[in-house]
Amino acid sequence: MPQPSIKRRLIVIFVLSQALLAVGLLSTGVFYTHKRLIAALDTSLQGRATSIAALVRYSDESGGHVYFDDSLVPPSLDPDHPDIYAVWTEKSGLLVKSPNWPVGLQVDTTARHHFDLKWAGIRYHGLRISEVPILDREEGASFQPQWLTVVYAAPLHRVHKQVLDAGIFIAFASLVLMCLTTALALWGIQRGLLPLQQLASEAGQVSANNWKMNLPDTSRQIAELRPLTESMTEMLARLERSFKQQREFLGNATHELKTPVAVLKSTLQSLLHRPRSSEEYRMGIEESLDDMKRLEKLLEWMLRLARAEQWAHGALRRDLPVIELATTCDAAIERLQPLAQTRQIKMHLTNNAQVHLRADPDDLQLIWTNLLENAVRYGAEGSSVEIAISQPAANQVQIAFSDQGAGIPPEDLPHIFERFYRGDPSRTRATGGFGLGLAIVKAMTEAYGGTISAESTVGKGTKMSVLLPVSPELQGTPRTLAVQT
Amino acid sequence: MRVLIIEDEPRLAENIARSLRESAGYAVDIAPDGQEGCFLAEDEPYDVVLLDLMLPQMDGMQVLKKIRALGKQTPVLVVTARDDKESVVALLNAGADDYVTKPFDLGELLARTKALIRRGKGQPSPVLTIADLELNTVNRTVKRGDRAITLTAMEYRVLEYLAHRPRAVVSKTELLEHLYDYNWEKFSNVIEVYISGLRRKLNEGSSKQLIHTSRGQGYILHD
Repeated sequence: MPQPSIKRRLIVIFVLSQALLAVGLLSTGVFYTHKRLIAALDTSLQGRATSIAALVRYSDESGGHVYFDDSLVPPSLDPDHPDIYAVWTEKSGLLVKSPNWPVGLQVDTTARHHFDLKWAGIRYHGLRISEVPILDREEGASFQPQWLTVVYAAPLHRVHKQVLDAGIFIAFASLVLMCLTTALALWGIQRGLLPLQQLASEAGQVSANNWKMNLPDTSRQIAELRPLTESMTEMLARLERSFKQQREFLGNATHELKTPVAVLKSTLQSLLHRPRSSEEYRMGIEESLDDMKRLEKLLEWMLRLARAEQWAHGALRRDLPVIELATTCDAAIERLQPLAQTRQIKMHLTNNAQVHLRADPDDLQLIWTNLLENAVRYGAEGSSVEIAISQPAANQVQIAFSDQGAGIPPEDLPHIFERFYRGDPSRTRATGGFGLGLAIVKAMTEAYGGTISAESTVGKGTKMSVLLPVSPELQGTPRTLAVQT
Repeated sequence: MRVLIIEDEPRLAENIARSLRESAGYAVDIAPDGQEGCFLAEDEPYDVVLLDLMLPQMDGMQVLKKIRALGKQTPVLVVTARDDKESVVALLNAGADDYVTKPFDLGELLARTKALIRRGKGQPSPVLTIADLELNTVNRTVKRGDRAITLTAMEYRVLEYLAHRPRAVVSKTELLEHLYDYNWEKFSNVIEVYISGLRRKLNEGSSKQLIHTSRGQGYILHD
């Protein structure tokens, strides 16, 4: 079975409709020609019949006898197929029949004016005229004038031949035109489908290294193709973004993994380099374990980030329970209490909204813990960190973390949510950071449909705000809350 | 020989330094960031610089460009986590002499460091010969004729430096600068002790003096 093809379908439809047109044209042409020819024949027959009638004369002897002067009979319309005629008089009936009048042919003299008949395999078209006066009646003749009935018929050979000729001509012309138009249509369809081919070949060029489809404007503007090209362009952009992100992540990850692996490898190699005391071996192994732990932690964070980013890109989430937002903040504050105490930092939670939302409490705690840890770590010793929950709109909740610390320099601020970005590498490395915390926070927030932003003044402090969407129907009214408490 | 390591990961720097000290007997300084690295590279006469690319304050590329802009001819071996062609080409074009990618093999790093030092001093072969004296820098052995000579670590280092610069006058200060790292007190009279020890060991059973004194200037190793 051949492949379905738009081109072939269009051609078949076109040829069929053309054939229908040709058949219609042929039949109307033949019908019309026939009609015109018969009309012309009628006129000729009328003239002939009148001429025949004029050949009926009164004989010189009185009494009103008539005779037919056959010396003046007009020639037949078609010399090859002679016409036939007959004349009747009122009084004496049949006066004359043409010599070629078919034997046995009876004509009903009361028949219609025009008639068709078939006799001995020949088709005739005839005319009957009645009550024709005899023309050469002399003035003052005593007898009553007589009326004639004339029948004149011509064989239809000639008409049929002409109709056939016209039919053949129309059919031939139609065929030629059909071939021409079909060729034209083929060319047109081919041209019309060209943008599709371009689209296909451009789409074929797309690869992991080349995400652009260079479509000429002419094919971009085609109405039928526009939805396709637009959605393809969009799809490619989406794919490119996620592909780039994956590749960047892989690049960053391998880069970040190489240093701890290099440390581990060099420690072990230098340990093996020469015989050492058992104390040296022990220290070397302890160092290696330390490096291993760091590597393990880095891997864990990277996997966490990868998972959060996958969620942020719309991966399927399981059914989430409805939880109270403030409890997750409380849990995060509790977790950071030891660190805050060593830095003598106080944490305050101001909750202006009793917000419920669908979330995994672990995810939210991870976000709050990360933000809070930064605030506590970089806040000035003895200062305080403010956590404020508010509802700027019915379908939104804002959680803001403000510290009083060194702040983030303006040149670093736009990059702090990028993976592996370290404003001051020595500082974050000393504190064990990998530059992944804020990237995870951002991805996690986006996974819940939220956004995160940072404002900072150097020397004063930093404020991190997370906006999360909440659905109003999940919020209990204050009255029911009051009843519960 | 004296090596500068510019590397912000302290454990890695320490491991490389230990390996260079133990297996090559080099004096090693460590700079934990780019600025410090630049400062040391500018002031101290290193025989080779090992440079990490990801550095706080001033990244490796900037350090490299600065060292070259100062007209320093010290060979630079770059330690990088990136091995894509573009960054390697950019590195070499910025004046780096060689590179190793993390995680590297300490043995390979050592061999490349030695090779860079040799090339920096115009000595392509790892076995240096002056008259009948033969110094193998790979396994650190010294022979005179067929006779193997056992040297102390410090004596070997003095001889190795002199052998890298045959027929040139090497001052005591130069020897001190290239044999001790930044944290050492430098006393020029210890050099005289090592030189006299070397002369004694090299001349055992041979009358031809190889280490000559250029009065007031320094020492020359030639036949």
